Amino acid sequence: MNRRKFLAILSASGIVSALGTAKVAKSAPHTFPYYEDSYGVLHDTTRCIGCRRCEAACQQVNNLPMPEKPFTDLEVTSTRRRTTAYAWTVVNKYEVNSRPYFRKLQCFHCNDPACASACFAKCFSKLPDGAVVYDGSQCVGCRYCMVACPFNIPGFQYDLAWDPLVQKCTFCEPRLKEGKLPGCVEACPVDAITFGRRSDLIKIARARMAENPGKYVNYVYGEHDAGGTAWMVLVPAAGAPAGPVDDAAVTGSEMEQMGLDAHLGSQPMGELTYGALGAVPMIVAFWPVVFGGAYAITKRREAMNRAAAEAAVNDARNDVAAAVDAAVRKIEETEGQAAADRARRAMTEALKAREEEAHGGNK
Amino acid sequence: MRKGTKLLLLAAVALAGAACLSALGCGPAMAAPLEPTDSGAPSAIVIFPVGEKPNPKAAAMPPVAFNHVVHEKWMSRANKDCMVCHHTGDPIACTTCHTIEGSPEGGNITLERAMHAVKIAPRKDGTPSSCVSCHENTMKQRNCAGCHGQLVRNARESDKWCVVCHSITPRMTAQQLQAGIQGKLPDGVNEQLAAETAAARPHTKYWSPMVAPYKVEISALSGKYEPCVFNHRHHVADLMARVKNSELAQAFHNDPATMCVTCHHHSPASTTPPKCSSCHSIGIDKEHPGRPSLMAAYHLQCMNCHKDMNVARPRNTDCTTCHKLRPVQGASK
Repeated sequence: MNRRKFLAILSASGIVSALGTAKVAKSAPHTFPYYEDSYGVLHDTTRCIGCRRCEAACQQVNNLPMPEKPFTDLEVTSTRRRTTAYAWTVVNKYEVNSRPYFRKLQCFHCNDPACASACFAKCFSKLPDGAVVYDGSQCVGCRYCMVACPFNIPGFQYDLAWDPLVQKCTFCEPRLKEGKLPGCVEACPVDAITFGRRSDLIKIARARMAENPGKYVNYVYGEHDAGGTAWMVLVPAAGAPAGPVDDAAVTGSEMEQMGLDAHLGSQPMGELTYGALGAVPMIVAFWPVVFGGAYAITKRREAMNRAAAEAAVNDARNDVAAAVDAAVRKIEETEGQAAADRARRAMTEALKAREEEAHGGNK
Repeated sequence: MRKGTKLLLLAAVALAGAACLSALGCGPAMAAPLEPTDSGAPSAIVIFPVGEKPNPKAAAMPPVAFNHVVHEKWMSRANKDCMVCHHTGDPIACTTCHTIEGSPEGGNITLERAMHAVKIAPRKDGTPSSCVSCHENTMKQRNCAGCHGQLVRNARESDKWCVVCHSITPRMTAQQLQAGIQGKLPDGVNEQLAAETAAARPHTKYWSPMVAPYKVEISALSGKYEPCVFNHRHHVADLMARVKNSELAQAFHNDPATMCVTCHHHSPASTTPPKCSSCHSIGIDKEHPGRPSLMAAYHLQCMNCHKDMNVARPRNTDCTTCHKLRPVQGASK
């Protein structure tokens, strides 16, 4: 293969792979369609009193093991607890400008879940009712979902030696199917968590802000964060604001104090990798064909060239043998058998010497 | 003869009693003169909508009779000086600089803004207060915050709110009004009109806590807990006692039902208000997904008011202080 051919092949493969990647990246947001009528929950942290009734209800309706400390112990909210495989929701206390507020942590049920995009066994799925559910039958225990989740939610059954699974809030999917509310929502004594259609909840959140000027940060956490989530959070404004509160720096600080990451961006986490990962099947399918084909063509051409050269050499060799025969026959006719034999021997030796000389020269 | 004397005496007593009752019931006592101020400023002044453009029809809100002495006394009680209002340091009338149209001397801040602005940009040389901003700040104190923290914030959107200040005695003539608008009314006349108006302001009497029930048993949700016995009269009486001595509350609480409407909200004021469960359903309300459920409505109403009024006990999570735990006897919830 010469240089020109190599470059032609390389550029062709480049164009093919670029086209393939662009196509995959463009189709990425449709990997998980946005369900218009999906449900969600609005968590109003200005209402939450930190009673842990939601935690108790979650344990009860999901048949989870009892925690070490009973649900009546409210001191545990002072620690920064995380959700685990056996506690799918926890309520923590946060100080916002030295005033205590409580926030419930659980799966946010993203519109376009990062856990699902990271899972190569397709264990996670976003259902039309809004829930992100997990089916452990194919789970290999790689815990990529736990790394991918921007909210650090999925928990892993580290205590199980055989078939440990990832566990997280299910949005009480079985209860939703029965027409019941999620356990935590039903248990909340102050409606700090309001269940409804996600589109309605956004309107409710805005209405609360309008009715209570200065009470909330002018931001519905989860409306757009990480591509939008089914569970959304209203955050208290710190003190009495002197001016408008839609200032990004001010918003950031209250979010931070409530332990919410305001820097996730409005793009689904998965979209960051769909482009690159989407190109993988294309590479697997096309690159062997393109480069294998180029290799095969080159190899075949080389074989053909070699065959032609060998044929030419054989022809030449046959020509020499024929000439020697003819000369020997002539000598035999004119000078007799003995002279002919002598001449054949001499000519053969001369040819051999020349061939050896040629071989030596080649080497 | 003896009988006649007795009858006459009885009749006299009855007449005197009737006279007393009617004198009490005839509403505002006639023109009790206002106290003088410590600073020597007039006890009351009328703030006219002073403008530079001719305004022959007096197209503006009615003038405000400003009770100077009440405000001055409050300022001295609160250890504040005249600069809170007279922010230039010169005790001149507001309308000298702040006119209807706004003037360069007043930083082009109109009279309306100077009196009503609530979000005032901080200044280097002391941030001035408007009437409304100072009143709103005063309402942040503990005794007011229960109601004014959450629900009655929008009271200033009602007409009743405007008329508390924007009212003037009917004895003011059109000529006096025109003179006032042009800033040419003599001080003596102005002060007399103001004093008359201020003295004639109605003093609203709240509905007595006695017309409401003494205790209310809230039992619609009892199950895991016993019904809650709510001491209704104690709550109403306590709220009334807290604002009894506040001139601000007396002026603006101009409805007999004022003390009822924070809790009994979103319905016409009445001595027989609708039940909470008329609007707040026990489960989820599909028509009104944002409306608190009945349990949440009770808890939010009680807890938010207690929080805003700094009521230390019971804590929000002390469930059994308000409703005792019911002994378990097969009750599932």
